[in-house]
Amino acid sequence: MKTFLKWAGGVVVVLATCGFLAFLYFIPPFFTRPPEAFGKLMADAAPAVTDIADPAERAIADRGRYIVMTSGCNGCHSVVGSQGPDLSLYLGGGGLKIQTPNATFVSRNLTPDKETGLGRRTDDEVKRVLRSGTFSDGHVVEGTAMPWPAFSNWTEEDRHAVVVYLRHLKPIHHVTPEPVKGRAITIPSAIEQDYGGKDYGTSKAERR
Amino acid sequence: MNRGLRYVCVAAATVLVAVVFRQMSARLDAQPRGKNVYDAHCVECHGESGRGDGASSAYLVPRARDFTSGKYKIRSTETGSVPTDEDLMQSVRQGLYGTAMPGWSRILSDAEIADVVAYIKGLSPQFQTPPRPVTVGGGVPSSPDSIARGQQAYEKLQCGKCHGSDGRGTGAVATTFEDDWKQPLRSADLTEPWTFHGGATARDVYLRFRTGMAGTPMPSFADAASESEMWDLSNYVVSLARKPVWSMNADEIKALYGAQAADAKANPVKRGAYLVETLGCVACHSPVDDKKRMLPGMRLAGGVLMRIVPFGDYPTGNLTSDQSTGLGGWSDEEIKRAITRGILRDGTRLLPYPMDYPSYSTMTPEDLNAIVAYLRTVPPISNRVPPPRRAFLPFYLWGKFKMLILGQDPPMVFFPGNAGATGGR
Repeated sequence: MKTFLKWAGGVVVVLATCGFLAFLYFIPPFFTRPPEAFGKLMADAAPAVTDIADPAERAIADRGRYIVMTSGCNGCHSVVGSQGPDLSLYLGGGGLKIQTPNATFVSRNLTPDKETGLGRRTDDEVKRVLRSGTFSDGHVVEGTAMPWPAFSNWTEEDRHAVVVYLRHLKPIHHVTPEPVKGRAITIPSAIEQDYGGKDYGTSKAERR
Repeated sequence: MNRGLRYVCVAAATVLVAVVFRQMSARLDAQPRGKNVYDAHCVECHGESGRGDGASSAYLVPRARDFTSGKYKIRSTETGSVPTDEDLMQSVRQGLYGTAMPGWSRILSDAEIADVVAYIKGLSPQFQTPPRPVTVGGGVPSSPDSIARGQQAYEKLQCGKCHGSDGRGTGAVATTFEDDWKQPLRSADLTEPWTFHGGATARDVYLRFRTGMAGTPMPSFADAASESEMWDLSNYVVSLARKPVWSMNADEIKALYGAQAADAKANPVKRGAYLVETLGCVACHSPVDDKKRMLPGMRLAGGVLMRIVPFGDYPTGNLTSDQSTGLGGWSDEEIKRAITRGILRDGTRLLPYPMDYPSYSTMTPEDLNAIVAYLRTVPPISNRVPPPRRAFLPFYLWGKFKMLILGQDPPMVFFPGNAGATGGR
């Protein structure tokens, strides 16, 4: 009887270990959510433009919404929780840290929050970053960290639409660190290192 | 008396020496000071050597200027001549509209701009010959008559060949253009004055005809047209301007977007090219060297190795229409499935980062079809890219355990170089 229990216990332990390893093997990478579920989430994530009163602005913002939604801005700029991007904090920043041979960058808060987001910037400043990666303090973000070389190919009118839409997002208070200059590569063979899956903001992200 | 004269002479000589020395030291200093400004702000596109080969340059249309060539588009000087200092300063100050060159007037001081101009002039021997400025006359004031004559000149000088009979540039003609470095160019859409690189006043436009735009197919018309014809033509071009979207009302915006949608439907390849350029496909799907500069002639040939810790190596695919190594053998549905769901032809699943297929899945079916239509037209480049490879199983499971259960190490992507058959870093 005792031997039987011992054997049975052993089998249970082995089965449990195998089961756990199989679970680890089969859960989707990054987050425990299946990849197909993401597309649906992304489609619903970008806030609708229906509550904009001015019909002209609404039409432009709707174009901007489509561009922001399809261009993958939220891939880097959304707040990331344990189960993937936290889409109630859409474009609240801090979702990615990028280390390059020249600097360390953390994705910024793109919501119109006045203290931590784009509320601090004029339309022209935002457009300049989207067109040429150049910030008002004169630093140029690398084109591989933020794909502004691709966005510089937007027509001026599409770029305008993007900015109009970003102005209508829900403000989120979320402090994201400024870029730090200096070589940041830690893996000798790398030309760039990107870290995701964590919130790199320095304050808790909150809806305002 | 004699002694007094001697004092005066010595004093005058001292002042003279001081003035000359200051002039010379100012000239000597301007270059290192300019280099500091250049290294801080210009390198990303124009490159360390000033050849216009910065890391981001290869993705821009037009490319960043090659300062070693001495060829400049925005000038007030004769064809073949270098621009004046004021031309260069003006381009730095206000930027070139319709390109990635921003205006620096709010960021750099006038002295810094002068320094950086002195530095870039030093990069080309052409600047040893002084510029030959053109004499700009009083011009012809705009009037319906002048505009009508300008329209005749537009036809006579065959401007429509590149800019379209309606002036819509690349929007109207299917031809693609190249600059002197065999890099793609768009012909200006004359109905959108906010994209005119050098400004949109009649004088700016006149100078572009008068001097030509060096390095591009835009010639000088100084020999082909009379002075007054060129001014009439400028007035005509200025009159072509349409309202920009930011000053339209709702009905006009609806009409504009409707026309753009119809245009996209009629010409899906053009729409697809716009999407591929603006979504940033080129950035990851083209092999680079160790300064992250795209290898020449390898646009969209794939093979950039993405090492995703702890999951494995995911080299980017060859998106050209090559039959055996590119998308030539893929069906439309397979391409769209890879873009929207991250599933490759053989059923391999991609990771949700760095390729953001969840976002691309929100695109309209028309736009997806347009992307496929464009990718079919990309000239084939043979570059065999190895299939994705999972990390060693125990490491893979341990990494996943740490990341997903313990919440310790975030996923990391790094770029150790190029995995494609054609090399690269």
